[in-house]
Amino acid sequence: MHGFAVFLGKEMTEIVRTWRLYVVPGILVFFGLTSPLIAEVTPALVSSMAGSEAQGIVIEIPPATTVDAYLQFNNNAMQIALIALIIATAGAIAGERRSGTAQLVLSKPVSRSAMVIAKAVSNWVLLAVAGGVGAALCAGVTAIMFDTTLLPEFAAMVGVWYALASLLVALMLLFSVLLKSQAGAAGAGIAVFFAMSILTIWDVARDYSPVGLLGLGDRIVLGQPDLSIAWPVATSIAAALVLVGLAALAFKRQEV
Amino acid sequence: MSPAIEIQGLGKRYGDTVALDGVDLTVPEGSVYGFLGPNGAGKTTALRILTGMARPSTGGARVFGHDVVHATNDVRALIGFLPDVPGYYPWMTAEEFLRFAGKLHGVSGRVLDDRVESLLEMAGLAGVKQRVGGFSRGMKQRLGVAQALINAPKLLMLDEPTSALDPMGRKDVLEMIAALRGKTTVFFSTHILTDVERVCDTVAILDHGRVVRQAAMAELKREGHALKVAVEVEEGAEALEPLLAAEPWAVECERDGQVVRCVVSDMPAARRSIPAVVASKRLGLVRMVDEEPSLEDVFVELVGGRS
Repeated sequence: MHGFAVFLGKEMTEIVRTWRLYVVPGILVFFGLTSPLIAEVTPALVSSMAGSEAQGIVIEIPPATTVDAYLQFNNNAMQIALIALIIATAGAIAGERRSGTAQLVLSKPVSRSAMVIAKAVSNWVLLAVAGGVGAALCAGVTAIMFDTTLLPEFAAMVGVWYALASLLVALMLLFSVLLKSQAGAAGAGIAVFFAMSILTIWDVARDYSPVGLLGLGDRIVLGQPDLSIAWPVATSIAAALVLVGLAALAFKRQEV
Repeated sequence: MSPAIEIQGLGKRYGDTVALDGVDLTVPEGSVYGFLGPNGAGKTTALRILTGMARPSTGGARVFGHDVVHATNDVRALIGFLPDVPGYYPWMTAEEFLRFAGKLHGVSGRVLDDRVESLLEMAGLAGVKQRVGGFSRGMKQRLGVAQALINAPKLLMLDEPTSALDPMGRKDVLEMIAALRGKTTVFFSTHILTDVERVCDTVAILDHGRVVRQAAMAELKREGHALKVAVEVEEGAEALEPLLAAEPWAVECERDGQVVRCVVSDMPAARRSIPAVVASKRLGLVRMVDEEPSLEDVFVELVGGRS
């Protein structure tokens, strides 16, 4: 892995000095701050709409709780943040190839595996920090507005999100290598993400594959008893490592 | 001692398109070697194979004895490379990019500091704090040459380094290349004949994926190609032209204003008889000079005028 540390250093600096610092982290920070607020106002909002448009119908909505705040954060992180992540990482290798930087960098003693793995590691670090900051903000605002209960469950929910996000990074690296086009890779990534969402209705996929990560966070916070955490998490970690390996192997065999 | 580059039977196909068709080439160490050919001749493909970016379909190549397919990192440690359109990280400054390139080569500490400083100076980019994304094409090319030299390479490979530059940019880059003579081997692809004439001592001409000629520049211009003489008179060149064309040593003559240019088969005989022919018509001789064939003449003759 010639050049791994140097290229990883470049990737980390690039995150700090470009738009990469603001997209996914910005979304997570925004939803960390606003999810408890949205949870708080949602019952009042629904009641007022029911009062003005559905007169005669009585809708009883219980006041928001800590669980609602956490679920709101999870829904936003699982949907908007992950789709943004897919689009942002689609150009990881394809962008380097299109801009000509891959040719210049790879004409030096740098292995292609080092380039792919540095991309994966830098994105995983970024997601860990951004997810951690977003979650901490959410927990803080929730503590102020509601209470500090269910923090271990919330931490586990964020961990599940991180496992899925890390898997998507690995998947996008592979697509970015294979498809050589940022738009093509993004399209393929979104298609896989939606396919995973649909597969959650199949019990076997939900219990024994990364597909199960999609609803797992909610179920942890809601305290549902039929939890199968180990398989989805373990298989997603394994799949992420395999996908990065395949991306490195495929890039090694390609012409730049 | 291994030659800097040794290419044997190198072929490359993209589907039905033949980019390289059995190229044989030897680049001696220490030379400034021009790799000349019209657009689409296969120059960039050859360089991509030499740098490990592409794989040959047939044949092979060695750089200082290292196989370019199987010993890619050994090759890359010895070379500096400037692609035809170098891509940079736009958020970096020139100094940051040179430091990044140096570290990829394992250069660090005081050595890296000194090289970065001297290369920025050489490229005319010392003190430039602007990010690379805002650089002109000329600045990017000069930075490209500088980054290719960060590892003090034994072989510098440049792909069309001047093709998109304005005259000042071209001059700057050619001067940088000329200054490397005697310090490293330079392998320089281009379709611009005057650039090769200006800086190269050896040249290979590539056409349709084949090397049609490889020789020292002086030898190429001298050996086997037409000798020319130019005769300028004060007036009456139109009368002089048929007389010169009728001489036994004249292959063909053409007139351009008051200058008659003749391709000759026997230069000493031409030198003896031309003043007599001019005097016989009572014309005033302004000058009579031998004209060395230009690289352009040789190039057009070898590739049949396609460019």
